[in-house]
Amino acid sequence: MPGEVEREIAEEEREARELRRRFADWDFISKQPPKIREALKYYIEKGDLRRAAKLAGLTIEEFRELLRSARIPVVV
Amino acid sequence: MSRRVFAIADTCFLIDWARFRRKDMLFKLFKAVFVPEDVLNEVRSEETIAWISSALSRDYLALYTPSRDEVNEARQLIEESRLKPHIPSVDLPEAICLVAGRRRGYVVLTENRGALLIPKFMSRYSGVVVWRSLEVILNAILEGVVEIDCSKPGELFSEYSRDTLHIFPTKALNRAVEEVKRKCLGK
Repeated sequence: MPGEVEREIAEEEREARELRRRFADWDFISKQPPKIREALKYYIEKGDLRRAAKLAGLTIEEFRELLRSARIPVVV
Repeated sequence: MSRRVFAIADTCFLIDWARFRRKDMLFKLFKAVFVPEDVLNEVRSEETIAWISSALSRDYLALYTPSRDEVNEARQLIEESRLKPHIPSVDLPEAICLVAGRRRGYVVLTENRGALLIPKFMSRYSGVVVWRSLEVILNAILEGVVEIDCSKPGELFSEYSRDTLHIFPTKALNRAVEEVKRKCLGK
């Protein structure tokens, strides 16, 4: 596999994580119940919608709505 | 069956796309977009269900029931992808879309990074065409199914971002906007 592809992927992931951290409404996140709060933090770090939704005990669509409330963008 | 006639969409794609004011442009790009039954089970909001049911009734969307063999291949794909450190996790709904992409030539519509990267890292799936909303919008512009203002080549991508709170990676967005500019210049 060419190194350039690896580098670009790593760069995109870094950018995505930074954008999620920067846009997130941390005040909103801190006021959530522990399960939801941790799922949102997991999403900010990993960007994995399905696993984060499972952690939160929500459907994917419910969790996506929660991301909007927390101002956390999907970056893909 | 030639490419670009059919697509198959996963949940992550559909739930964001359903919020886009120009969502029906999708049906000008493809004769039908298949939705795996598992994906349909994951959709809950009134807005998304209303759009999906309307599109199903107009035959723009169609249900996709994977065969046992396809599900087995999808499970194998998930296992193999776990051995590749660069690929984020892929679950069964996305894997089924990729298997349909490989076997039937459907364009896979997804916002799952794992699904996006699999054709780059797994040779068996290297021929699968995977599009995010970014590529759907870009191809809609390039194929002329949507009109744009050439003085604002990035406007449609911004519109999508505003409607959905979805941000495109800078490099990928810049490349897409450059392609739009080239089309506007007639190159």
